[in-house]
Amino acid sequence: MNITMMLLQLGEGMLISVEIFLLTLFISLPLGLLVAFGRMSKNPVLRWITKIYISIMRGTPLMLQLLVVYFAPYYVFHIQIGGGYRFLAVIIAFSINYAAYFAEIYRSGIESMSVGQYEAAKVLGYGKGQTFFYIIFPQVVKRVLPSITNEIITLVKDTSMAFAIAQAEMFTIAKQIAAAQTSIMPLMVAGVFYYIFNLLVATIMERIEKAYSYYR
Amino acid sequence: MVVNMKLLEMNHIKKEFDGLSVLKDISFSVEEGEVVSIIGPSGSGKSTLLRCATLLEKMDGGELVYMSEKAAWEEDGKCIYASKADLKRIHSYFGLVFQNFNLFPHYSVMKNITDALIRIDKVPKKEAEERAVELLEQLGLADKRDAYPYQLSGGQKQRVSIARALAKQPKILFFDEPTSALDPELTVEVLKVIKDLAKKHMTMIIVTHEMQFAKEVSDRVIFMEEGIIKEQGTPQQLFETDNERVKEFIGHLTGGM
Repeated sequence: MNITMMLLQLGEGMLISVEIFLLTLFISLPLGLLVAFGRMSKNPVLRWITKIYISIMRGTPLMLQLLVVYFAPYYVFHIQIGGGYRFLAVIIAFSINYAAYFAEIYRSGIESMSVGQYEAAKVLGYGKGQTFFYIIFPQVVKRVLPSITNEIITLVKDTSMAFAIAQAEMFTIAKQIAAAQTSIMPLMVAGVFYYIFNLLVATIMERIEKAYSYYR
Repeated sequence: MVVNMKLLEMNHIKKEFDGLSVLKDISFSVEEGEVVSIIGPSGSGKSTLLRCATLLEKMDGGELVYMSEKAAWEEDGKCIYASKADLKRIHSYFGLVFQNFNLFPHYSVMKNITDALIRIDKVPKKEAEERAVELLEQLGLADKRDAYPYQLSGGQKQRVSIARALAKQPKILFFDEPTSALDPELTVEVLKVIKDLAKKHMTMIIVTHEMQFAKEVSDRVIFMEEGIIKEQGTPQQLFETDNERVKEFIGHLTGGM
């Protein structure tokens, strides 16, 4: 196998990694906000359910969660799973795991807002939803951006865990080629790919943070 | 004799925090064009009274009436609040200026003033901005329309927050210790704005520690302590009272004037 072939195969894997990354973000960022609402709810049942959920998601390995999500339909419910479920399982496992982390980040941001902002909005006639989406949330986003960036960078690297259920993303493919060629080269190239990916992510996040620096 | 319209009536207001009685059967009313100052030591309940009047705090008993519309009343020993729709309308009757301004940091001065008008009151954008520009000019902030709150001094912030409250064209304007977060120099510029409003017969209720200011600007001064109104009257009456406690309090704050 020549270098071009290897790069092509790794490139295909890279596309899958990017897909996992984007879909996970797309689902877990809003889902995390919902979980944060549950966590801060006045309803004690809802509050406890979300608390336990977050605790489990953060307290057990992501790789184990991935295996559970992938195998549970068969082992627990005796549902035959096709090959198509593999990718879905990755997305589900990553999304619910990252939603838990994002939820705690959102919560810390929301709870750091001063009561005065809510009161000023109330006196001016904003409803509860309007207060949250126009007054509170934009400020929360600015405050939590650095923490969110951290998580997103971790997510880029975590996509490699999909190899645990043999999802053909970049890391899985790199490992396969490395084994077949008895060469470290494919793994090094994969490393460079991940690094460039994260460099890009960091640059984009920096831009977003800058866009929010128009006020203090 | 012409009887001015009562804009606000508070009757037998009671409020407890964790079993501690903060407001004990307070009654008072404010007429159109009146400027009322509420003074008293910290913990006297004056801020709580203001927060009850502006619906930021739920009362435990009593009646709250704005322009003959009941916002809250007592039924079987419980305080009942009006429907959401009624309260929404009642909210538009008053404005509140906070001690800490509570401007929205992510909005420009212009947007701080106009956002609620456009979004909540459905005032056309152009009209809302005209109103804002006029207010900013009146308050000496014409050049600050595009600034963000962090770029302003405390006095400017407080004037913007006054503009924000006024833009909604309220019938009554409440001030909760509007100068307590400001140094003396900035205090002067904010007090001047309030004095100008008084000249224009804006109805105002002001919780303040500025005795000299209260004396100059108010039609009536209320002295509160331990959750009750201990004394009230014209500034003249209050500042020349025989009530030892009031004398002592005012004396403290004015340095024995």
